[in-house]
Amino acid sequence: MLKIENLKASIEGKSILNGINLEIKPGEVHAIMGPNGAGKSTLSAVLAGRNDYEVTEGSVDFLGKDLLDLSPEDRAREGLFLAFQYPIEIPGVSTTNFLKTAINEKRKYLGLEPMEATDFLKFMRSKMEEMEMDKSLTSRSLNEGFSGGEKKRNEVFQMAMLEPKLAILDETDSGLDIDALRLVSAGVNKLRNPDRSFLVITHYQRLLDYIVPDFVHVLYKGRIVKSGDASLAKELEVKGYDWIKQEVEAAV
Amino acid sequence: MNLVQQIESEFKLYEHQAQKDDFFEYRKKAFQTFQKNGIPTIKNEEWKYTNLSKISEIGFQTSCVSNLDADALIKAGILNKIESNKIVFVNGCLFPELSVWLEDDPSIICTNLAKARKEHAAIFENHFGKYLPQEEGLNAMNSALMSDGAFIYVPAGKRMKYPLMLTNITDANESNILQQPRNLIVIEKSAAATVIENYIAVGENSSFTNVVNEIFVDENASLEHYKVQRAKGNSYHNNYTQIVQNANTNINQVTLTLDGQWVRNNLHFNMNGENCNSLLYGLYIPDGQQFVDNHSRVDHAKPNCFSDEKYKGILKDKSVAVFNGKIMVHLDAQKTNAYQRNQNILLSNDATVNTKPQLEIFADDVKCTHGATIGQLDEEPMFYLRSRGISENEARKLLLNAFADDIAEKIKIPELVQILEEEIERKL
Repeated sequence: MLKIENLKASIEGKSILNGINLEIKPGEVHAIMGPNGAGKSTLSAVLAGRNDYEVTEGSVDFLGKDLLDLSPEDRAREGLFLAFQYPIEIPGVSTTNFLKTAINEKRKYLGLEPMEATDFLKFMRSKMEEMEMDKSLTSRSLNEGFSGGEKKRNEVFQMAMLEPKLAILDETDSGLDIDALRLVSAGVNKLRNPDRSFLVITHYQRLLDYIVPDFVHVLYKGRIVKSGDASLAKELEVKGYDWIKQEVEAAV
Repeated sequence: MNLVQQIESEFKLYEHQAQKDDFFEYRKKAFQTFQKNGIPTIKNEEWKYTNLSKISEIGFQTSCVSNLDADALIKAGILNKIESNKIVFVNGCLFPELSVWLEDDPSIICTNLAKARKEHAAIFENHFGKYLPQEEGLNAMNSALMSDGAFIYVPAGKRMKYPLMLTNITDANESNILQQPRNLIVIEKSAAATVIENYIAVGENSSFTNVVNEIFVDENASLEHYKVQRAKGNSYHNNYTQIVQNANTNINQVTLTLDGQWVRNNLHFNMNGENCNSLLYGLYIPDGQQFVDNHSRVDHAKPNCFSDEKYKGILKDKSVAVFNGKIMVHLDAQKTNAYQRNQNILLSNDATVNTKPQLEIFADDVKCTHGATIGQLDEEPMFYLRSRGISENEARKLLLNAFADDIAEKIKIPELVQILEEEIERKL
């Protein structure tokens, strides 16, 4: 599904990613952990196509396409989804109108007819039920006045609507209390299936109690320095990141 | 001949007519004021960014003659979809055959000035010329040589059932046109009306339209007033709207400036009683080399009044916009609530905005805010929308519509909202 090879990226001349290698197969859930400043959010931003970052080396193959060559909108249309760490409030744009536009733009890209208004509303209603979203959501402006938890749930709801092949969750747990975290994780788990992959980026292990990953990678100084299964996350929870830092420094 | 010379020569012609109209004394006095004050220059603080010198050199004619099929033009317009009373002026002259009157109450009146002066003399004399600041050069110019205009009268306790569409067409097919429409709107106690001013232009030549509106709204009455500027081509437009409102009145005023080479809107609210609500909203979407200036003044003269002003601009290409809003809270006007905002989005590096929100407060127990912003479309919302598969162009459209939505929601006529949406679509 996704194959990252020797990916290097910088911002304003400062190198952040220093050669990432990662392969994600259909249905797999990969977690990326790491201390602050390791490059976690940069990785998600580069994959989603944020243009603040300059890719200096390496390649990313997404379902046979050169991901780095695609505009952010085409990446989304090919099936990539980024759940933002800080979802943006957009007053004046209703969630319904926004999602209808997004879905129909994707359909156009795939050579499909736009969805009829009634079909769209039916589809949205069923997804809202499935994700247990409040009905008032659809008439409100996108994320406007939403609490942190509501915003994150709205990200997961958008994911449900757009049915991506690969979803990147960028620090989705940040700013959430335990109840909100549970709700958001339950939403994500409902969307897990054998064809859909996830890349879960997080600083803390607690999210991974709810969204259990198949693989855990530790990112440090822009490189994946350690990989393992879900137990690696537990180990990090107990021991912190220092021992990994020391391991890395010792190896240099 | 420049504009001042032209006005002088036209006034001499008028003065030497054997048969002068009923406005002679009024015109004469105004002409003297005009001679004294002339056309404002950029040395005048209120005209600092708004230069009339080019316009005054163009050379215009006043002419009622038009071969235009105005009926077809109006019917083709989107505003025609609004079920409304209609009165139509072409180059400042009434086209009575295009009037449409849907009201069944004969006490509600809409006619032209000349007729109103004769047939409704008492009401007319009570209000005409009573509110306008004549010392403004262009106002004096209008008063001296006004063309014709609408007289709209809603007597006490009456409610107009349909909006009144006041259409002004400039036909510049034959020559450069000067017209000076003059409208008087009187809404008596506990009465209500909706008026839409609709400006359109045709023809390749230049035109200068210098409008004066005097609007009087008596106690407990309400007025919805819309101004839609869609005069394309080389049209220059100055508009002075003076509103006087008495106690417990509600006025919702929306100014939409879409087309026009050069547009200056002057809007002056005089809140002359307690518990008044004055709402002033505006949207301008200039492109190319368009110039739009919105000048407003709200005089809070009495206590317990509320005013809310919001003007928004989306500027493309080399367009220029000016905003100048002045809120005066007079000594007596305790418990005033007054809000004023001007927000601009520049879509090009060559577009310019000069904005000046002003607040002058002489009372001590008031709540007032004002502010202005000028910026570009934010990157963050753009990226958010694009990351969901929405193209850059669609994302921009969504965001600009959202930006304009603030103003659109103040418009209570759906067809007008539709025009706005189409304009944003067209301008992009």
